[in-house]
Amino acid sequence: MAGKKYKSASRKRLINNTIVHIVLAILAIIWVFPILWVIMTSFRAEQGSYVSTFFPKAYTLDNYIRLFTDTTVLNFPKMFMNTLIIAICSCILSTFYTLAVSYCLSRLKFKLRKPYMNMAMILGLFPGFMSMIAVYFILKAVGLTEGALIRVALILVYSGGAGLGFQIAKGFFDTVPRAIDEAALLDGCTRWQIFTKITLPLSKPIIVYTVLTAFIGPWVDFIFAKVICRANSDQYTIAIGLWRMLEKEYIDSWYTCFAAGAVLISIPIAILFLCLQRYYVDGMSGAVKG
Amino acid sequence: MKRRMSLLLAGALAVSVLGGCGSQDSSETGEKVRLMVWSPSEDQSKNSGEWLQTCCENFAKQHPEWDITFVYGVADEATAADAIAQDPEAGADVFMFANDTLTRMTDADALAKIGGKYREQVESTNSHEVLNSLIKDDNLYGVPFTTNTWYMFYDKSVFSEEDVQNLDTMLEKGKVSFPFTNSWYLPAFYLGNGCTLFGDGTDESAGVDFGGENAVEVTNYLIDLINNPNFTVDADGSGIAGIRDGSISAMFTGSWDAAAIREALGENMGVRSLPAYTLNGEEKQMLAYAGSKAIGVNPQSDYPVQAVELAIYLGSAEAQQLHYDLRSVVPCNTELLSSGEIASDELVKAQNDTFNNTSILQPFVAQMNNCWTPVENMGKGIRNGSITHDNAGEQTEAMNDAMNSNGI
Repeated sequence: MAGKKYKSASRKRLINNTIVHIVLAILAIIWVFPILWVIMTSFRAEQGSYVSTFFPKAYTLDNYIRLFTDTTVLNFPKMFMNTLIIAICSCILSTFYTLAVSYCLSRLKFKLRKPYMNMAMILGLFPGFMSMIAVYFILKAVGLTEGALIRVALILVYSGGAGLGFQIAKGFFDTVPRAIDEAALLDGCTRWQIFTKITLPLSKPIIVYTVLTAFIGPWVDFIFAKVICRANSDQYTIAIGLWRMLEKEYIDSWYTCFAAGAVLISIPIAILFLCLQRYYVDGMSGAVKG
Repeated sequence: MKRRMSLLLAGALAVSVLGGCGSQDSSETGEKVRLMVWSPSEDQSKNSGEWLQTCCENFAKQHPEWDITFVYGVADEATAADAIAQDPEAGADVFMFANDTLTRMTDADALAKIGGKYREQVESTNSHEVLNSLIKDDNLYGVPFTTNTWYMFYDKSVFSEEDVQNLDTMLEKGKVSFPFTNSWYLPAFYLGNGCTLFGDGTDESAGVDFGGENAVEVTNYLIDLINNPNFTVDADGSGIAGIRDGSISAMFTGSWDAAAIREALGENMGVRSLPAYTLNGEEKQMLAYAGSKAIGVNPQSDYPVQAVELAIYLGSAEAQQLHYDLRSVVPCNTELLSSGEIASDELVKAQNDTFNNTSILQPFVAQMNNCWTPVENMGKGIRNGSITHDNAGEQTEAMNDAMNSNGI
């Protein structure tokens, strides 16, 4: 009797698991499908933006080669380097801003603390591109809208507002016990030393999270880059370049290269994530031990 | 390792910041002039012969009295207006624009009038239609260098010279693809049957007449057209793909696709102005939107005389000839069009026939901005079957209302 009952329970579990896995498999296919399609398009030998078959009729590496060799009309390597430089610099800057602001708001007591947090919350409700024309004219007044200074302008634009995005990091710092800070203070640490030597090593997951978002933001941004670069094609970022490949004049001959470019821009993000994932897991266990 | 990487990158940034922008000096002495010139990137690329640089250098040679420094920027004709109107002060002195963006720039006071002897010079070498595309309130706003419209490409092995006169005859013989859901193309049928936009195209108060019995007839024709097995909708590049694999024998597009079609069809490529279509037994001529591309001058330029002179030169017969040789840009200079090699080019002939005979000037009044979406929705509605013979009347009326509304 009892044995039968167990059997039916395990069968029930089996059926449940099967259904769950089938649903998950279907969802996984739906999610992976567009990525797979872009990757296949990037290796497609036939030209043009429209195909009648799902799988390419022939495969080639030419799209990637062309992206890096045919640079007279759309200089992809240059755009790639521009974007990489901008993204790395603003990633470093905005990570520092975000963490520093979060630390201050979490640990220091000062009069403007609450008003600042409220103000940041409200400002954060407005989309950033609302101010883009104003930002452009300010940058122009400072003289950062011509030539290579555009890069500096973009780095400033992408990292300047980072201090407003402190909420998540502050929430994490709040969970780090205050007693550790106090112990360090008694041992003679300054605030800066507590921040760099105690809090940061305990906060790897949130650092990783901040670095990732700070890198991806400028890496994929289109609007600000478009408004600030204007006609300076040597300062274009990848987003503008990829957008141009889909214009009426280019789309037919550049469409497969566009897919190749889309695959390539995902590589730095993937590398960054793979490198940092280890710390992400370490950091999680570290915080518990803390 | 990571620290070294970031140091390296910071170093690279510093170097690139110090690098400055790429400008070219001409060595002659004279008044120092700095002209910023914007053009599409193909005009500046080595692969297609650096048309802009060549022309600018020729211009500098013709004017030894000025010591000109050229600064080149990239902005194609369709989007230059946005960049110029955003900030005329920092915009190029000389740039290229499509004429449908004209009002956007004049509203921002970002486009200079061409007057006096310059205007006479432009008027003497261009046809009336081309000039009209750049005249607003009797002022000429640019130096035209090419026309901009669409026409028909077909496979000569499928259609004869006779067949291509009429769309319905063509549909009996082979597959035809048309950008049915694109509102730059679809109005051709309505315009062919007496529908009008803003009177003669410039009278905003006249409004749009895409309603009434004649428009409903066209809607009904279009519903039948989409059900014709030999007709396919050209969307997302399916037309050019069909030409490549042979499943489509005729498509409607412009000079930007000509090279790809020639590659696919070779000797069999035919090109001509728009065909007629048969509506209730009567032949109606399809009419495309046509416009022009022109060279504009920034009214806030520090060197207005030099800028206008350069614009005139870039639109001259000499520069147009070079443009045609290097990039197959169809000229619009009347002298060039009557000359040997260019006059015998089929593509040039088709584009000019279309411009002169089977097109209307695309209105550039502000109200025109509300005319795109309703027509596109009409095309999509017919394609997905929600607009049928039963509701054609009311749907056509709805389209007309939407085009005449203020867009919201």
